[in-house]
Amino acid sequence: MSMTLKVASRNIFRQKKRTFLLAGAIAFGMLVITLINAFTGGLVENIRENIADIFGGHVFITGTEYPEGGQIVRRMKPDDRLDELLAEHAPFISSHTKRSEAYATFIFGSKRTVDTVYGVDFVEENKLLESLVVSKGSFDRVAELNNAIIVTETVGQRLGVEPGETILVKLDTITGQQNVGEFQVEAFVKDQDMFGMSSAYAHRAYLNELLGLDTHEFQNLYLTIHDLSQAEAVARDFRVGLRSDDEIEEEEVEVSVSVAGMPISPQDKKEPIQPWEGTRYRVMGINEIMEPIEQVVGVLDKIALVVFLILLFVTMVGITNTFRMIMIERTREIGTMRAFGMHKKQVKRIFLWEATLVSLLGVVTGLVLSGVLVFILSRIGITKDPAMQMFLTEGRLSFVISKGSLVVNTVLVVVISLIAAYWPAKAAAKLSPMKALGSHT
Amino acid sequence: MKRIHFVTAVMILILAWSVVGYAQDFAHIEALLDRIEQRSSFENTDFSALVNMIVEDPEKGIEKIVVRQFSRNNGEKFLLLIQEPVANKGQGHLRDGDSLWMYDPSSRKFAHTSLKENFQDSDARNSDFVVESYATSYEIEGYEEGKLGNFAVYIVSLAAQSDNASVPYSKIWITKDTELVLKVEEYSLNRRLMRTNLYPKYAKVGDNLIPVQMIFIDELVAGQKTQMSLSEVSTNDIPDHVFTKAYVERVNR
Repeated sequence: MSMTLKVASRNIFRQKKRTFLLAGAIAFGMLVITLINAFTGGLVENIRENIADIFGGHVFITGTEYPEGGQIVRRMKPDDRLDELLAEHAPFISSHTKRSEAYATFIFGSKRTVDTVYGVDFVEENKLLESLVVSKGSFDRVAELNNAIIVTETVGQRLGVEPGETILVKLDTITGQQNVGEFQVEAFVKDQDMFGMSSAYAHRAYLNELLGLDTHEFQNLYLTIHDLSQAEAVARDFRVGLRSDDEIEEEEVEVSVSVAGMPISPQDKKEPIQPWEGTRYRVMGINEIMEPIEQVVGVLDKIALVVFLILLFVTMVGITNTFRMIMIERTREIGTMRAFGMHKKQVKRIFLWEATLVSLLGVVTGLVLSGVLVFILSRIGITKDPAMQMFLTEGRLSFVISKGSLVVNTVLVVVISLIAAYWPAKAAAKLSPMKALGSHT
Repeated sequence: MKRIHFVTAVMILILAWSVVGYAQDFAHIEALLDRIEQRSSFENTDFSALVNMIVEDPEKGIEKIVVRQFSRNNGEKFLLLIQEPVANKGQGHLRDGDSLWMYDPSSRKFAHTSLKENFQDSDARNSDFVVESYATSYEIEGYEEGKLGNFAVYIVSLAAQSDNASVPYSKIWITKDTELVLKVEEYSLNRRLMRTNLYPKYAKVGDNLIPVQMIFIDELVAGQKTQMSLSEVSTNDIPDHVFTKAYVERVNR
């Protein structure tokens, strides 16, 4: 084997130009697929991190109450079950935040606009202010001013308000009554409204007062997980742990039959929702939010794979033709080697080793080029457009190269090169030493 | 000792008398609110009208909205069909009991809305097309006597009895002699004035007295107000199919 490998290694440097072109074609394909995979990987990671920053976590928990004679309201009260789960999962959770929220009308003089306002504990959520980019005003007095509000640049401009001025915020309480609060604008921040995530931030205590919630109550609980791969497992544990007995009973009753994946319900009529005791929780992991985004990115990856396969197919034809030429060029050489006792298998191996080495050379070159390009591209400030910030980290693209896809792509290139070189190799191995020695080539 | 008993008894009597007196005062206002509600109620007849609205928006300018209103059971069922502006023609607000939908002919879809939502871009709410039941939806917090222009009025402070009421608190000015509501102030849950409604003109329709001119002033947005006037008022029967989604869909096709 070492002899055949040595001969193959020597052969690929005999025709440097030809080797350069073949490896270059493979390198180009490898460069394209690696760059696209790294780009989409980075894109998903950036969106995931940015969404986590905006929402304040990776696992989102909301709670609803529906008391007898009342109406469904979004409210979470201190709950032992919740506290126990938080304590149990403490090693996985780096922080948790409690927020209330309202979709409100912001009014200043004769101007008005609508936006979501989150009630946050600015001391508890110290990372929030770090993640927001101030365009006017400052966060200096936000913590101490009970009715401070941070609004997006767009909302500020729309209202014609300046930091330090007071705006009115009209909203509905959790039970649907109208309420109005006075807020002092402290800062404008760059908005990230690409996914309708434009929002203002105010003190939870004050927003709660307007929403009709007690100071210690909240509407959303966000968990930030140390290791994102654990997010789904943590979400599942909370989902199961927070399920009430009523919900378990209801789920048991809801037996459905499905044919070809389509559920067939025995009851056509929708049952009216019955009031329940306590709080019912809904737990969602960041992966559920990311699912549609990942699907879109997955399509991009698939398109890249198709382009890569087309490139490989063209290269494969090139490899087959090249190796047929090599066979013709080296007929006498093959005859000599066979006359000196080389087996058919060894001749075939030389060709296959040659194909493997050329493809590996192409793969390595492609990866090195990708690495250089990734290094350069990730250091270029792309844009300050707020809508693009969702896809970027600190205004720059980031790339994540998946080890799995690297291995798959490399194996794919090598296998396709071997397949392409197989028939010329087989033909070369079958050559009769006598005829080969008699050849003029 | 006997003297102390006597003083205590007198004090209890005074207290009881004042409590009864206070309750009686409220009973008088409650009866007044009942009469107002009955007089503006169309419980046994249908009601239709052409509603002209002039919306003054400090940013958008003045806009005219014309609406054909069909109502049954005091607005338990109603249909509001937009005639003007042309861009919104065919849009409809249909109420059937607890359900209220808004129909958009461009998307041909019904979307759920609520009585508390503003009607189109005006300062009127969907609930302004329903007979407001001050007597049943609100409880009296207090009242005083006063003047509104030349009119002697009761100024009654009301608090919503449930979250279904249009606003948490309101104050209404009722003329003493004619028992007409001339002005309403609506307050938020934290008692901030949100809207002032003026009812300068009433008309007799059958046995009922209804306001045919209304002015809604947004007290939060400076310069924002809406004038609403009713014409072509009728109490003729309206066919049942008018209060259906199918009718809303096909009426302006």
